Amino acid sequence: MNIRNLKPIFNYFFAITLLLSCNGHEQKEKTITFWSSNASQEILFTAYFADKWNENHSEKLESQPIPEGQSSEEVIMAAVVGRTTPDIYANMWQGLVEMYAKSGVLVPLDTIEGFTDFIMARSGEAVVKEITSADGHIYQIPWKINPFMTIYNEKKIAQLGLDVVPTTYSAYLKAGKDFSKDTDGDGYVDKWIGDTEVKNIWHQRLNNFYPLYLAASNGAPLIKDNKAVFNNEYAVGVFNFLQTIYREGYFAKESNTVGSDKFLAGHTATKWTGAWDVSYLERYKEDDFEYNIAHLPVPDDHRGVVYTYADPKNIVLFNTCKNPALAWEFIKTMIDEAGDLKFLELSGQIPRRQKIKENEVFQVFLRENPKIIPFIDQSNYVYGTDNCEVLIEVLDIISQEYESCVIHNKKTPAKAIADASRAVDILLGNF
Amino acid sequence: MAITFLYPFFWMIMASLTPEKLIGSLTFIPDSFTFNNYLAMFGKIPIGRALLNSMFVSSVITLGVILIGAMVGYALAKTRFMGRNFIFYLIIFTMTLPFQITLIPNYITIVKLGWVDQYTALIIPFLVNNFAILMFRQSFMSVPQALIDAARIDGCSELRIIFQVLFPSIIPTIVTVGILTFMTTWNEVLWPLIVVRDEMVMTMPQLVTLFSVGGRADAQLGVKLASAVLLALPIMIAYSFFQKYFIQSMASSGIK
Amino acid sequence: MQVRPKKKRSILPYLLVSPYMLFFLVFVAFPVLFSFFLTFHKWNIISPMEYSGMDNYTRMFNDRLFWKSLRNTLWFLVIHIPLQIIFALGLAVFLNSKIKFKGLFRSVFFLPVIVSGVVVTIMWQQLYGFNGGVINQLLNSIGLGRVGWLTNPAMSMPSIAIMATWKNVGLYIILFLVGLQAVPEHYYEAAEIDGASSWQKLWYITIPAINPTIFMVIILSTIGGFSLFIEPYVMTGGGPLNSSLSSVLYIYKQAFEFYHMGYAATLGFAFAFIILIIIVIQKKYIEKKY
Repeated sequence: MNIRNLKPIFNYFFAITLLLSCNGHEQKEKTITFWSSNASQEILFTAYFADKWNENHSEKLESQPIPEGQSSEEVIMAAVVGRTTPDIYANMWQGLVEMYAKSGVLVPLDTIEGFTDFIMARSGEAVVKEITSADGHIYQIPWKINPFMTIYNEKKIAQLGLDVVPTTYSAYLKAGKDFSKDTDGDGYVDKWIGDTEVKNIWHQRLNNFYPLYLAASNGAPLIKDNKAVFNNEYAVGVFNFLQTIYREGYFAKESNTVGSDKFLAGHTATKWTGAWDVSYLERYKEDDFEYNIAHLPVPDDHRGVVYTYADPKNIVLFNTCKNPALAWEFIKTMIDEAGDLKFLELSGQIPRRQKIKENEVFQVFLRENPKIIPFIDQSNYVYGTDNCEVLIEVLDIISQEYESCVIHNKKTPAKAIADASRAVDILLGNF
Repeated sequence: MAITFLYPFFWMIMASLTPEKLIGSLTFIPDSFTFNNYLAMFGKIPIGRALLNSMFVSSVITLGVILIGAMVGYALAKTRFMGRNFIFYLIIFTMTLPFQITLIPNYITIVKLGWVDQYTALIIPFLVNNFAILMFRQSFMSVPQALIDAARIDGCSELRIIFQVLFPSIIPTIVTVGILTFMTTWNEVLWPLIVVRDEMVMTMPQLVTLFSVGGRADAQLGVKLASAVLLALPIMIAYSFFQKYFIQSMASSGIK
Repeated sequence: MQVRPKKKRSILPYLLVSPYMLFFLVFVAFPVLFSFFLTFHKWNIISPMEYSGMDNYTRMFNDRLFWKSLRNTLWFLVIHIPLQIIFALGLAVFLNSKIKFKGLFRSVFFLPVIVSGVVVTIMWQQLYGFNGGVINQLLNSIGLGRVGWLTNPAMSMPSIAIMATWKNVGLYIILFLVGLQAVPEHYYEAAEIDGASSWQKLWYITIPAINPTIFMVIILSTIGGFSLFIEPYVMTGGGPLNSSLSSVLYIYKQAFEFYHMGYAATLGFAFAFIILIIIVIQKKYIEKKY
């Protein structure tokens, strides 16, 4: 084989290498790396502040969405293990911070000058207490929440002769019975009262079981003093409610990854979701699509305000960050009043700030975006996650029982919850 | 029967060209066409970069597998040394070893070497391929010894003998090893999923997989299908040109 | 006849095989030993490793999901292997007869083989849809009713097996064709003179002749079944009710969702051991039979 015959091969490699190096990272002059969540609005938000920062600072900031993955929690864990974490990560699920803090990969933020005062003024004492780690340090900046509520298609609910979506179990089931039917006569239900992901992955239970449990129980924990405390009437009630829904065919049993969005297409009338969904709907809905918001369904005998899951996502600094004080300087620009307003405008998610409704700065936005107001009201009655290092595994256990009881009707709710509770206690080493 | 083999591809291509709300009712030809799914997808994921990554990784591996495979295969076929049979049986043994055993420790090796998110993690573990070594060994065994002896008398070094004197007579083997290696590395998903989490280094099938299970598609089916169509395209184009070689290579892989 | 000088002979072959030895030590020998070591430990990589004795093994024997994933894989093989052989052999016999467009058919059947499994999986996930999927629309329109391809726990593995058959059948058609063409024509002629039916010819001449190919299809399908990952990962996440949780998916979940590295390594060992046993049994049984 002659050397000249190999020339095309060399050219090919040369071309690919050249192309790869052309649009690679320009890491040399960037000093702070920032990962935002994957949501398109948040990518815009972060880019806006990164550009602003880079105009005025010699130490540059490079922002990018967290790499695509099955869940952001999985991607972050892989980055921690592989030591490829960013300096700042702005979508950290609160339920994982304690574990990372204990493994020593997070920067204790309260050691930064002025940090605690700033957070105290923005979010208030109760929130600061909630996010303080067991060792007394603070490892996370309480950034944003997405209280879970029911969003409903107003026209579809009106078809049932109702003004607003039902908010008790029995009324919701009644609506399910009236609404869920086979409209094209092929023998299968094609309209459902609602829909929630059925996949058996732990984080999916944060979209259905957990918010409903918090709503029913006025924000009771799952784990307390390292013991499972969810074997109660509320958890059983939620399982019972959801089991009835699936048994009677009021929800589709199919994963949302098959087919298009059922709510936007009008195949479902309600969904349980967070504030971010408002901007999603505004972006993708048809012009004549009308929707409104209500609190989650609760047991018929429920009294008082209705709690829900806050879905808290916070900002953390990884110890790969070389200049935490500078990183904090940048973060402050994102979460001061002007930053929070921009965040509301671009993403429609709720900053974890006290008295948004009373604050002058936000008045114009709230007047123009009334759909956000129910979520802001709800954010006074939210609960985050329990301080438990193995929360993912707890939710995985609940998820296993959820699937077999709620979706496939293999167990009674009481048995499923009791089994889950026992398995969690074994996990926590209580036997 | 043949239709059932073509229709899924046809459906996917049509669906990727259909506006989102019409995909649900699509069975044959959509009522209206759009390229929006493709445009939206290009804005969401660096798929061009992933294509280049895949080409780079698969090409380097293919080249490495051919060079190393030929060297080791030659040594096993045409030289005598202590432990030759031992190495031969080692290769056979390694081939039968299920990858489930080495998956976790190899990931940890990559972590400890600091190769996470690097091309080295995607390339180095695949540079040596037992099957390729055996293929080369077999074809070198059928090369007449006289050819080698003549080259040695002319003063050729052993590497020159392998790559210049013997290569022209084993071109079918090189093509087969090349196509098989390129195809298997191109289609590999599990390993990249484990060792690479940086989108700038991700291979194309990996990026498309994550796009289909992850959140950035905003639950829009059309853009996911568009990414799958793009993933299928390069290899389908290569197939339409070199069909004969593809089929022959795959067939010989099974027979040996 | 060796022409080389002695000195050269001793070093050179070792230089040539050195890349292989390096590879073997780093990516085969070390991992196997290290993996065995890991099975006695609890480790999530970021925290210090803890010795845990036989915990991983006792846990595995009591782990419902370990047995479930093993049963799922065997269930997959029970459906997939016969389907694969019947379709591949049937189509190969068809292509071996005197028909038009032989080459065209061959290329069409081969198309799914070369396309990435990810593409095939994303495509079929949508075709299998319960409510809007094309297959159910078709079944419904001819009055058969819908099938819960991916939503019914009893159907998810069969659905994946059908898809895998569809994807691989082209390759096995080619392999069978090679086998069929090697059968001497006069065998069939002699059988015809003896008045054998087509079935008898298939059973007594064709099948014994291509038996090595059948054996290979079985081995390759077995290895493929134990490697199933991307199909359930994308289509079902292992559900419903863990009915499509494959062995590799379960290892992946333990390792990269929960970072139970020690337990994942234990599972890897167990599954590898099971694969080897199954292959040894298959080999014995089939070699004895013919």
